[in-house]
Amino acid sequence: MKKRSVIVLALLLVAVLALAACGGKATEAPKATEAPAEAQPTEAPKATEAPAATEAPPEEKPEAGDRVQIRWFVGLGTGTDPEQQEVQQQVVEAFNKSQDKIELILEVVPYDSSRDTLSTQIASGNGPDIIGPVGIGGSNAFYGQWLDLAPLIEKSGFDTTIFNDELVKFYQTEEGQVGLPFAVFPAAVFYQKEMFDEAGLNYPPQNYGDKYVMPDGSEVEWNWDVIREIGQILTVDANGNDAASDEFDAENVVQYGYYPQWQHPNHMGAFFGAGSLVADDGKTAQIPEPWKAAWHWIYNGIWTDKFIPSDPVVSSPEFGAGNAFNSGKVAMAITHMWYTCCITDAGESWDLAALPAYEGEVHGRVDADTFRIWKGTQHPEEAFEVLTYLLTNEVAAPKLLTAYGAMPALPQWQDAFFQAKSEQYPWVENWDVMKAGLAYPDNPSAEGYTPNWNEAWDRVDAFGSLMQNESGLDLDAEIEKLREDLQVIFDKAQ
Amino acid sequence: MDALDHLRTVKVEKKRKWFGFRDMSKNAKREALYGLLFISPWLFGFIVFTFIPMIASMAFSVTDLRLDSETVNFVGFQNYTLLLRDRQIWHSLMVTLKFSVFALPVGMILPLALAMLMNSAYLYGKAFFRTLFYFPYVIPFVAAIFIWGAMLNPSTGWINEFLRAVGVSNPPNWLNDTRWVYPGLVILGLWGIGNAMLINLAALQGVPTELYEAAKIDGAGWWRSLWHVTIPMISPVIFYNLLLTVVGLFQYFTVPLVLNGGTGAPGGATMFYNLYLYKTFFTFQNMAYGATMGWFLFIIIMIVTLALFWSAKYWVYYAAEVR
Repeated sequence: MKKRSVIVLALLLVAVLALAACGGKATEAPKATEAPAEAQPTEAPKATEAPAATEAPPEEKPEAGDRVQIRWFVGLGTGTDPEQQEVQQQVVEAFNKSQDKIELILEVVPYDSSRDTLSTQIASGNGPDIIGPVGIGGSNAFYGQWLDLAPLIEKSGFDTTIFNDELVKFYQTEEGQVGLPFAVFPAAVFYQKEMFDEAGLNYPPQNYGDKYVMPDGSEVEWNWDVIREIGQILTVDANGNDAASDEFDAENVVQYGYYPQWQHPNHMGAFFGAGSLVADDGKTAQIPEPWKAAWHWIYNGIWTDKFIPSDPVVSSPEFGAGNAFNSGKVAMAITHMWYTCCITDAGESWDLAALPAYEGEVHGRVDADTFRIWKGTQHPEEAFEVLTYLLTNEVAAPKLLTAYGAMPALPQWQDAFFQAKSEQYPWVENWDVMKAGLAYPDNPSAEGYTPNWNEAWDRVDAFGSLMQNESGLDLDAEIEKLREDLQVIFDKAQ
Repeated sequence: MDALDHLRTVKVEKKRKWFGFRDMSKNAKREALYGLLFISPWLFGFIVFTFIPMIASMAFSVTDLRLDSETVNFVGFQNYTLLLRDRQIWHSLMVTLKFSVFALPVGMILPLALAMLMNSAYLYGKAFFRTLFYFPYVIPFVAAIFIWGAMLNPSTGWINEFLRAVGVSNPPNWLNDTRWVYPGLVILGLWGIGNAMLINLAALQGVPTELYEAAKIDGAGWWRSLWHVTIPMISPVIFYNLLLTVVGLFQYFTVPLVLNGGTGAPGGATMFYNLYLYKTFFTFQNMAYGATMGWFLFIIIMIVTLALFWSAKYWVYYAAEVR
């Protein structure tokens, strides 16, 4: 009897050990090949080293499996388009060829599932080392998870004076120096010249402060009312009637006047005026008045004035399956520099113009993306080496910036960047308006910190989806519901 | 012997009867031990992967545990009171109920109708059709969702191509229109009815033919036979399917997550309760609130299940039951 009991216990023990063996290893650090900390304390930053050209002979390098593996997570912002993935992979290959102790591994996750994926990885202690490009919002979604780079900057002697000092300070938070400048994305009006020509309309102003010339020759301020007015003229049904005409058939529209391309409701609001969803006390939910005005403008544009496509229309393949301006069937869109990464089907007549004013003042938005290091990384020094390579390597960084449609934070690269953009889109004449857009940042940022940022962002996104899907809403009541829900979401974080 | 001693004796006897291990014969003990040995993997799995997490989640629900926070505090029933005034909770429950209004009747009636068709004496190639209808069930569900997503594509999907071919000029934007998303999801869900059909088919084949013969002699037609013989005789299986479908609807999750990336689009119409629960855990990293939602869902499902069991005595008939 006793023997049998022992057998039973032994079997159970084997089962427990087998189960235990199944887990655990995943998050173990590959310590065997870790470079000792002293190996590189005084190493000069490799920021401006050329990649493959100066590499050591391949036969002297350790096998890929023996090197420290640094995982680069892409998906929280730009970087997921196939063209961008190809460029990123080229950068990874060049980096891996350029040195012998780190193996960089690219992990691209679709944008829609990236936050969930990263949350799960971080929660399980298996987070990536490098994350990015990631914007302000994406960073706030993981507030508290970023490594303070200051000690690594000091230890490696990395020269931060190559950047604009203000931009370096931009990445200083309570957590420390959590990032370094890489890319900035001002916004502008993207418009289709041919559609304006066809409608007999003048082009939008090319410079900030210029007036718009209406069809009757009168000069007016370039503002949201004008966009609505000409947006209706530029919205055309299958019979050629525009949205301002009585014969207009809203069920058979072939061309729309305006679309807020890939803009979250917070962004839509910020173009009417910067604001925050949380009051100064850091815990009370509020909806900025300009945002309410912006949402009403959008809502009326979709359901009353009919010059903005609704969600069902935009999600249809005829209108680009979400990428409406790229479908070539939308006359105007407001979006950011990052959109220029991959405008493939919008034809060859689009150009850029100044942002409109609201109540006499232009309210722009500037996105800023960079790469960050997860604070749980097992290899901070190697991750920092990769980070500086991505940010400042003379070959890799411009290549990535071009692929992302990102304006370089390093001033000396900006001319080359716009030169590359001109080659990519030779018909675009007014890149200057993008540079001028840098003077109109949203402060506070539309993606600024709120308690429970992820959930608050999702809730506002759901409001945006509702707004673009449902006609006949009492929008003020929905906005009030949104505020109440945000309060509950903020309370959850207290 | 005083009353207290008597009570003690009764308790000890009851305990012996309950466990009874010492009073067992040698063979019985050996059998019991083997029995325990054989169920021990399941028992171990249940304790480690179900029972302990359940207890842990109950403990989590009275704390402020978050994945992105390093401290944990006891907060009593704060999460439960917050949950009751969280409109998102009620919205997601309402979404689940709205979808159920479409999905439940279809999920119950269609498999039964198909099973009756498969059981029909007039159907040729029964084995072929049975296999055919069950086939989709063995396809990985996520792959099926992607395929159905393509089929429901408003422009290039086969369903809208067919509708256009029969003269519908403006077919629905199935998955991106709040008016059509639930019917679209129900159509997508038809993919998995093979299992329910098979269970119904097994039940139909178990109905004694003499009951149909007796009904026929009494002058019953097809409809009366169905209503007075078939349905009562297979009612335990209908009840079983109903229970599984209702619980499955409360746990509806994979399709909206895969199709819309869990965004709840269009217009929040696919923010099902279980999806919101998942997001609370893994996107919002709020383990405490997620655990509270889990227990709230458990209570709801328990109430609905108990109500179904209560209703069963009025419409479910068991062969050996005397009423």
